[in-house]
Amino acid sequence: MGKSWLRDYIIKRLIYAVIIAFGILTITFILLRVGPNSPADKYLANIAAHGGDPAQVQAAIEARYGLDKPIYVQYFEYMGNLFRGNLGWSFSTSMPVIELIKTHWIYSFQLILLASIFAAILGTLIGIYSAVRQYTKADYAFTFLSFMGISIPTFWLGIMLILVFSVKLGIFNVYYDTTLPLFSLENLKALVLPVITLGTGMLAGYVRYTRSNMLDNLKKAFVTTARAKGLPERTVIGKHVFRNALLPLVTIVMFDLGSIVFGGAYLTEYVFGIPGLGQISFNAVFANDYPVVVAVTLISTFVVLLVNLATDVSYTYLDPRIRYG
Amino acid sequence: MKKFGFLLAMALVLVTLITGCSGSGIKQQSVKGDFIEGASGGDAETLNWILVTDVTSNGYVGNTIDSLATYDNQLNVQLRCLARDVEVSPDGLVYTVTIRDDLKWSDGSQVTAEDYVYTLKNLMFSDWLNYPYKSDWQEQVDGKTVLVTPQVVNDTTFTITRQTVYPEFIYNIYNLTPYPKYIATQYEGNVEAFTQAPEFNNLTYTGNLGPYKFKEWSRNDRFVVERNPDYYLGKDIGAPYFNQYIIKLFGDPATRQAALEAGDITSTVIEPAEVNRFRSMPDIKVYTVPSTAYTLLTYNQRNNGWDGLKDKRVRQALSMAINKQTISQAILLGFAEPAYSFIPATSPWYTEEGVSKYGVGDLYDPQKAAEILLEVGYAVKGNDGSIKAINKDGTPVHLILATNTGSKPTEDMAFSVRKDLSQLGIEVEIKLVPWDTLLTQYMENKVPGSKQQPADNNGAEAVSQEPWDFILLGFSSNPLAPSGSNVFFVTTGGLNFFGYSSPQVDELFQRVRSKEALDKSGRQQIYAEMSRVLSDEQPVDFLVFSRRNIGFQKNVMGIEPGISMGYNFYKWYFAPAQ
Repeated sequence: MGKSWLRDYIIKRLIYAVIIAFGILTITFILLRVGPNSPADKYLANIAAHGGDPAQVQAAIEARYGLDKPIYVQYFEYMGNLFRGNLGWSFSTSMPVIELIKTHWIYSFQLILLASIFAAILGTLIGIYSAVRQYTKADYAFTFLSFMGISIPTFWLGIMLILVFSVKLGIFNVYYDTTLPLFSLENLKALVLPVITLGTGMLAGYVRYTRSNMLDNLKKAFVTTARAKGLPERTVIGKHVFRNALLPLVTIVMFDLGSIVFGGAYLTEYVFGIPGLGQISFNAVFANDYPVVVAVTLISTFVVLLVNLATDVSYTYLDPRIRYG
Repeated sequence: MKKFGFLLAMALVLVTLITGCSGSGIKQQSVKGDFIEGASGGDAETLNWILVTDVTSNGYVGNTIDSLATYDNQLNVQLRCLARDVEVSPDGLVYTVTIRDDLKWSDGSQVTAEDYVYTLKNLMFSDWLNYPYKSDWQEQVDGKTVLVTPQVVNDTTFTITRQTVYPEFIYNIYNLTPYPKYIATQYEGNVEAFTQAPEFNNLTYTGNLGPYKFKEWSRNDRFVVERNPDYYLGKDIGAPYFNQYIIKLFGDPATRQAALEAGDITSTVIEPAEVNRFRSMPDIKVYTVPSTAYTLLTYNQRNNGWDGLKDKRVRQALSMAINKQTISQAILLGFAEPAYSFIPATSPWYTEEGVSKYGVGDLYDPQKAAEILLEVGYAVKGNDGSIKAINKDGTPVHLILATNTGSKPTEDMAFSVRKDLSQLGIEVEIKLVPWDTLLTQYMENKVPGSKQQPADNNGAEAVSQEPWDFILLGFSSNPLAPSGSNVFFVTTGGLNFFGYSSPQVDELFQRVRSKEALDKSGRQQIYAEMSRVLSDEQPVDFLVFSRRNIGFQKNVMGIEPGISMGYNFYKWYFAPAQ
């Protein structure tokens, strides 16, 4: 029988996820269409400069992409295509949206995944160390560095890393090379600077959260009891204190992951020339490329909802007392 | 034996000569390496070039298919797909175009005059496709807009007939590139199918028409073309000499420049502030070349602008108080030159004779500017003798300067203008807005209360949604055909968003597009008169023409720096390693 209540809970949440995603998709679709901007906007000055009629060209461009139809017709057509797996045609990149996303998602995914792993592992270890060695020089040093890490703008850090490690020392390429095989050491090497850039702010945050949670738990009675029982300090810290400190940390890590998926990796992608979904979606917004914006919003929504679900499920394993009705 | 040795030596010399030189006397280079250009400013939209208006898309396609002609750095016509220069009938109405007979599509069939005429008549002129630049091929006849008439003469010759004279129409013809009729007919009439046609989106049809063939386009990342060994211009000399030409996109100029410095890319544009640093690098060569881009400050002469701006003397006074040297030297660090009209110094039609050079020399004089404002009633003199600008009703002058965000030099120029005008007692409020906002809320206008669709010029009574007095922005001018700038300066011009109207200027633009201008000296005189009138009238303050700085790895050879430095790109090569 196991955790049948958990299975029911997951099914219920997945149904909610579909409903929420559908709602967000509809709102995004309508907001984009009722706005004053048109994908033809950027053409207009150029058209007028050639003596053309901007209004006529705007109408023609909108007709070319079916934007001249009533909004409800566009909406039902879009939904019909969506259920057939067709996300539309990107008019700012001239390719099917599904192809665009299939080509580019991996660049964002590998960056986000590696940066999260880098930040979570290193941040946790440093946080534990800082808490256990509270008020030592090492603790002060890590505290100082973590505040720096939180404060440094991603943009600036990326450029500084490039100038030092790529231009001056010549260790890494200045920009990310998309021709490298995905599962190769060269690709891993090419991701070092972007991962550090994206992960530093997260790492610094995790150091502070871990340290704070560890210190809270270190003061609790069960720690005194464990020590009184004569358990080795490593076991007290690792098995008792850290496990209890882990729960809020998992929430923060998952929350970060969700916010990165919603474009938080954009600046890192921008600096290192990584053609990930962050860049694709930002460019689509500025180009009024509605099909891409809607599709990326839809995917991001699903990812965030699934990450939240995974977070909730992980709680039940980290703390067996937790049950969802 | 000696005789054999002599013959062998002669044979070797002969072989060396044959392999080292082409029939045209151009030295053949070895093919090696990839040329990687670092670019920023956005990706292309499509390779299906007829659908778009952006320069980037056309630039990508231009590597794989030549136009009929291009221009060298002296702006002389360089034939490409043309067998000989376009012939213009004495009455200026019939243009006879003769293309080369060795142009091939990818299926091996010959590119014919029929392909060009088909592209014009069935695609560019069609109603179903709505080519954005159709107006380049239209003329006004008896108050009606009509299209020119292309006609096939034979396999390699076609004519284009106009009903009205327009001497600079020939430059539209030089830019013409064809679509293959045998493919395009499959999609004719279906705009969706045409837009998504794989042949056009992957440039699979370009045959021997360009120095490179399409290989890969990773959006927002890189565009890759590979050497075309069959290129009609290069086959005799073994050109082009790069295995691949790659355009690598960067979001951030700092990263792009760092990539050049680190040797990861071959070439990129250098920002003015970085030029001296790059010039000091032993492996980098920086070329500074003129450009056709200019920055101007438009004066709003519509009803929602400051009423003073409708007065020529007030405009002259403001232009007299704005220091162009500060802009060209302090802001653009010397990589710009003051502008006095829309015609760049590189244009054959440029003249300085009789042109009023506001903002430099004697015509940069804030004190005199203040006195002019006093004379026309837009200033008062204080007890201490100082002159301060005021409105006719005695209130302080508060003006709005709008410009788009995203360009540091433009923002700096806005602040420089504000500082200069503050000397006259004019308070300038700067509004930095996104380009879309500038376009729709400040530049586009309509008659209040009317059902007009907003446009850049909806007539004398039209006003923009947001009030403004100055808009600072950049334009580009065609040095060979500057009459295209009529859209800004004639009363009904499509981009005359600032509401300038001068019967004299309208007439000059009409004359420069008439039979009178077929004679080049006559056209020169009209352009000279136009420059004089506009520099005197100051409908806008022409600020500066910018120069571009382009950095290359030092081993790139064959570059001819100038306004059109890429015209011979197919002959560039990497120097042999030392």
